Amino acid sequence: MDKTFKTEELNSLSRREFFKKTASVSAVAAAAIMSPSSLFADDENIIHHTQWGTTLGNELNEHPYGLPSKYEHNVVRRTSSLMSSAGDMHAAVSMTPLHELKGIITPNGLHFTRTHNGIAQIDPNKYRLMIHGLVDKPIVLTLEQLKRYPSESRIHFLECPSNGAGEWKGPQFNSLQFLKGMMSASEWTGVRLKTILDELGLKPTAKWMLAEGSDGSEMGRSVPVEKVLDDAMIVWGQNGEALRPEQGYPVRLMLPGWEANLCVKWLKRLEFSDKPWYAKEETSKYTALTASGRAIQHFYALEVNSIITSPCPERPWTDLTGGELVEIEGLAWSGHGTITNVDISLDGGKNWVEANLKGLVLPKSWTRFSYMHKFTGKPLLLQSRAVDDSKNVQPTVNQEKEVMGVEGVYHRNSICTWEVTKKGEVNNVQVRSI
Amino acid sequence: MFKLDLFKLITTSVALVLSSTLLYGGSDTNALPGKYISKMGAVDGGVIYPRKDGTYTAYRYNEQSTKGVNFGRVPTANELKAWDVDIMPDGTGLPDGEGSVSEGDELYEKQCSSCHGEFGAGGKGYPTLTGGNQEKLPNGVIKTLTNQRIEPGMEAPKRTIGTYWPKATTLIWYIRDAMPYAHPKSLTNNDIYAITAYLLKQDNILIDGQEMDDDSVLNREKLMKIKMPNENGFYPNIDGPNGVENVRKFFSDRAKNIGAGTRCMKDCKDLSSKGNEPTVMKIDNEITDVVPPYSMARDLPPEVENKLESKAEKMYNDSCKLCHGSDKMGAPVVGDVEAWNKVTQKGFDNVVHNAIDGVGGMPPKGGYENFTNSEVQMIVEFMIDSSKKKH
Ligand code: HEC
Ligand code: HEC
Repeated sequence: MDKTFKTEELNSLSRREFFKKTASVSAVAAAAIMSPSSLFADDENIIHHTQWGTTLGNELNEHPYGLPSKYEHNVVRRTSSLMSSAGDMHAAVSMTPLHELKGIITPNGLHFTRTHNGIAQIDPNKYRLMIHGLVDKPIVLTLEQLKRYPSESRIHFLECPSNGAGEWKGPQFNSLQFLKGMMSASEWTGVRLKTILDELGLKPTAKWMLAEGSDGSEMGRSVPVEKVLDDAMIVWGQNGEALRPEQGYPVRLMLPGWEANLCVKWLKRLEFSDKPWYAKEETSKYTALTASGRAIQHFYALEVNSIITSPCPERPWTDLTGGELVEIEGLAWSGHGTITNVDISLDGGKNWVEANLKGLVLPKSWTRFSYMHKFTGKPLLLQSRAVDDSKNVQPTVNQEKEVMGVEGVYHRNSICTWEVTKKGEVNNVQVRSI
Repeated sequence: MFKLDLFKLITTSVALVLSSTLLYGGSDTNALPGKYISKMGAVDGGVIYPRKDGTYTAYRYNEQSTKGVNFGRVPTANELKAWDVDIMPDGTGLPDGEGSVSEGDELYEKQCSSCHGEFGAGGKGYPTLTGGNQEKLPNGVIKTLTNQRIEPGMEAPKRTIGTYWPKATTLIWYIRDAMPYAHPKSLTNNDIYAITAYLLKQDNILIDGQEMDDDSVLNREKLMKIKMPNENGFYPNIDGPNGVENVRKFFSDRAKNIGAGTRCMKDCKDLSSKGNEPTVMKIDNEITDVVPPYSMARDLPPEVENKLESKAEKMYNDSCKLCHGSDKMGAPVVGDVEAWNKVTQKGFDNVVHNAIDGVGGMPPKGGYENFTNSEVQMIVEFMIDSSKKKH
């Protein structure tokens, strides 16, 4: 190879080819930073005034309720008719674009949504909540009365236990949004259920609570009283504003760390009893059939879990030319407690290094992790594995499948794998034994 | 910067622990983000965090007593009667009324079969209600529920009323509250018993050991005599005074009962129980049917037509397209640039005038006399716009 470039030749080379042909990348990069460079073409966006810098901007009262930039129109929830009844979008699920999110909060308009009988549109003036059964004093509350109770705000994730349900038998979607987008996280505001129950006087015989929604299906679930008295809340606030209709406006139950289906939306009634109920969503659905032919019922907490969000199929490393130091970033969460560690494997689970947690580390909440990696163009099998303070370690596909089989639908939390090709493309694959 | 991992801090450097304590101003492990005092033994297998001294994990709370905070009122007897209508396996809440299999057949055909298929057998994309093989293994487990599709072409376990649902009361409760889908709560109690009888008959469910026929009638007493084939198909056992404790015990051994990982760091092996090495499984048939299609582009959204235009387009489609969609009628075809160039040479006002009053084979207002002149003009604008050369 001819090592003496003329200036004209250099300018005509693409940046990528230039780096490839240059022996010492860092020397050139350093030179480029230290003194103005003649190696690159001038960027029009810097040389000339911009359109928005030379005109008057929009009036500030254009949108009394603000909207994202119109350039962000692809940052949306997505649906697939395969994840619905006959393509009927009343009984379906929409997925959060996890690849577009940073931090541990989901904007309200991007919160994943699963409905069983469509999205109920409740008139808050006609909303009523009834609490009765094995209590000394049953009550009915209007929304205004409910909101008079002292409030707490907590950050928790919500996950549908079907998240990733299509992947038990093998990978299906080449997308982070569809692999793990049946979850979101918010700051929820409401009253601890215990605060209300202390006044109503729960009878000692009360062991179970029925939570019932007021949508077309009156969706109901049985909850052990122990959880109710620990950290359960009745919430009306989502990231500082009212709940969105998709999330149960005006009021839903919040059982931190537990199946989002148990956190009943459009909450109408709480009844206390000494027995559980056997509602449709805790018998026909939301029970996990194992290889024994019998099914796990009352499967409450979402287990310790994690996923790498960058890179991912939507956000690959194809812009990297090789040699860059780049962040591997992701989300870890556990309904059993707080994330304590996340490990990263570059070789499909043979060897692991510990990643760093970053940002707020909160119980039953999304937790961000980060690991700096030098991408050399060597193909990778990227994995993350989370550990929580209930001493749970995220299982491999094999470890989970040995106990659960492949027909359980719900509560899949095994380790995910991104295949990174030498060009930096990212694909959803699984490391598993046949 | 130092790492906020307590275990590491203790083993690596006492000085760091001190400095972090100073920084966070606490006196115990609570001072470190992500390390909260907790105890094992929650009913779900997880930990429980104490609320103490105004602190709950990372959160502070108001320690003042809330005793006496008391809003709302006691419900009336009628209010309770209206809402307290859930149905339990012991029969609590079952409505009065009755209905026969043959009555249910007719109702089902009219109100349910369009979605759930003939006889509840599915096939329309909506849930399959009936069918499946209920044959049991010696241990009492329904054999087809042990099906595992580990290879393509294997048969799925079929989860229907007959093979899966543990309680018949659930069926009454759910159908009464939630079905038919678009008009929930529109069925009478007699209808509900009749449809339920029909569905149970399809799955050969026995009442008090007796097979059902078309004349069989279902009511509260009869329903309580039904034992569903898969009643014992679920665990842990949640019934009786030990129900909650059974659940706690079950989830306390997660490695055994739901699967758990191990924190191996070097040269890790991940064999299946048969000793098979793991391999990389790639996507076989990628599902790409997503709405809207995947895109990461930061561009301007495709031009959204303003309301006027889309109304014009709709009127055109409904009223004018029949003749202007093709050249069969001798009308200038919308989208044919040359034809419309010729038309517009007459001048816009004249063209609109012709559309309103009619010209040649073109009837006045296309035959739609109730259209206002300005509506016709709006449609003509749309037709001309849609027939311009695209750049
Ligand atoms: C317009 C379509 C439609 C019609 C008509 C309809 N259903 Fe449904 N049905 C559904 C959908 C959708 C679901 C699933 C809802 C969900 O996601 O929870 C369902 C669920 C059910 C289930 C629970 C199935 C399971 O496996 O959990 C039963 C039972 C049922 N319907 C009975 C009926 C009966 C009885 C009627 C007639 C009175 C009826 N349905 C009419 C759409 C329909
Ligand atoms: C029954 C068939 C038919 C229908 C319906 C119809 N058109 Fe026409 N239209 C014609 C024919 C044929 C011509 C060509 C007339 C000619 O030039 O001889 C024409 C011509 C026109 C022209 C061109 C007039 C010109 O000056 O050359 C306009 C504009 C027009 N139609 C608008 C409409 C609109 C708007 C509607 C719906 C409200 C409509 N048409 C519905 C058959 C139809």
